[in-house]
Amino acid sequence: MVGLRSFQLNSAISKKTPLFLLQSKRNFIKTIPQPPGYVVGGVNDATAVPDSDKVHGSRHWTSERLVSAALIPLSAVPLVTGSSFGFVDSILSSLLILHCHIGFQSCIIDYIPLRVYGVWHHYAMYLLTFGSLVSAYGVYQIEKKEEGGVSGIVKKLAKA
Amino acid sequence: MYKSQLVSILSKPSFQNCFKRGLATSHPVPTQPKLKTFKIYRWNPDTPDVKPKMQEYQIDLNKCGPMVLDAILKIKNEQDATLTFRRSCREGICGSCAMNIGGRNTLACLCKIDQDTTKETKLYPLPHMFVVRDLVPDLTHFYQQYKSIQPYLQRDSVPEDGKENLQSIEDRKKLDGLYECILCACCSTSCPSYWWNQQQYLGPAVLMQAYRWLIDSRDQASAVRKEMLQNSMSLYRCHTIMNCSRTCPKGLNPGRAIAEIKKQLAFE
Amino acid sequence: MARLSGLQKEVIALYRECIRSAYKKPKENRNHWVNYVHSEFAKYRKLPKKEFATVEHLLRVGHRRFEMYSSDTIRDVH
Repeated sequence: MVGLRSFQLNSAISKKTPLFLLQSKRNFIKTIPQPPGYVVGGVNDATAVPDSDKVHGSRHWTSERLVSAALIPLSAVPLVTGSSFGFVDSILSSLLILHCHIGFQSCIIDYIPLRVYGVWHHYAMYLLTFGSLVSAYGVYQIEKKEEGGVSGIVKKLAKA
Repeated sequence: MYKSQLVSILSKPSFQNCFKRGLATSHPVPTQPKLKTFKIYRWNPDTPDVKPKMQEYQIDLNKCGPMVLDAILKIKNEQDATLTFRRSCREGICGSCAMNIGGRNTLACLCKIDQDTTKETKLYPLPHMFVVRDLVPDLTHFYQQYKSIQPYLQRDSVPEDGKENLQSIEDRKKLDGLYECILCACCSTSCPSYWWNQQQYLGPAVLMQAYRWLIDSRDQASAVRKEMLQNSMSLYRCHTIMNCSRTCPKGLNPGRAIAEIKKQLAFE
Repeated sequence: MARLSGLQKEVIALYRECIRSAYKKPKENRNHWVNYVHSEFAKYRKLPKKEFATVEHLLRVGHRRFEMYSSDTIRDVH
């Protein structure tokens, strides 16, 4: 009935890949087996609708767009004026971290989905949060010690 | 006298040309065969241990219709009756013959054969779907998803005259570019987000239909419909890659429809 | 015995499910069902275990067929 995935013709698992790699690839991270053909229930049943969650739905999306939109003028200010103001710079750098965090979060949801990887999805999220916190601390140090903050560093790099 | 008239008519150049033309169409000048190679994905579920392979077929384009569907029908009729694919209306209204032709998801009946015979045309089933056989993908999950958005009119009240739900011309115009979708799944299967997360992400085709019912002035369930999309997977896996709008064989724009849904939901 | 891979375990799980549901069928037909399950699994006994794509396909087909046959309305198999 349901066959191979299309585009598996020149599949990596034909002749080229050594066997040990294959085994490690299949055993390295234990994935959750998926329903056959992704079909849950009868052929005429509808797929289940997930629970409504505005925080992860529209509000998440809107805040993401607001952060992205805010970044444009914030990064334009130091470029145009050529000088940096302390508070503008700190807002810019913290929004930048937030923006990257949301971006990587999307990558994790896309490529390490909870549905398939289970706990590994959570580990990836923890790792990302840890990384964001470390970089937030780094930015805090820069803002405190470096003259001109983040845009000052960019300026110096551009000159060098 | 009649004889002379007849001779004069017959000797007129216009009449002779007409005669010649008639001959020319009834006996075409034999031309060189225009052989075009088609490479088609083959896989048979009866022998699952045999790996899928690409099989080559040669077709004389002079003896074949202009569309890819004509070519594969010709192959099935004349060369290999085991070649399997879905087809029905042959005019782009049923959406059965959706497949990946030369790297692009489209309907075989709407896709012209590339007349360049030096290049081969490759035919695959729709990407990232389970294959039933040869060019036939399993769309069960896709249809289940379509069913989950409740693609039908929902009202709590009966129209006043008890007959029909009326709609203004402007409201009807909003559905243009949405209702034409034939659910061929070309757009959904061209979407990388759908490739990675098709179990949870609804995909452009289904989301466009969700939008079609959201903005229908006669429908009264839009609150429920919006609520169904309020999670991180169903709608928000769309990263505006826009492969959907580029590939749509009917020239529709699912990408815009998804953006409109996001706009409607933005401040909920 | 060598440690089984995840895929092998899935196959065995499906096999056990099939046999178990064979015993839910009417008594007089149980033999048919068990024989049928045996013969279906025996068809690909020689399949190398590295043929992941094929095994996965057979698992999918097997699950679908299991769901279909485990319905109470189907009483016998030949």
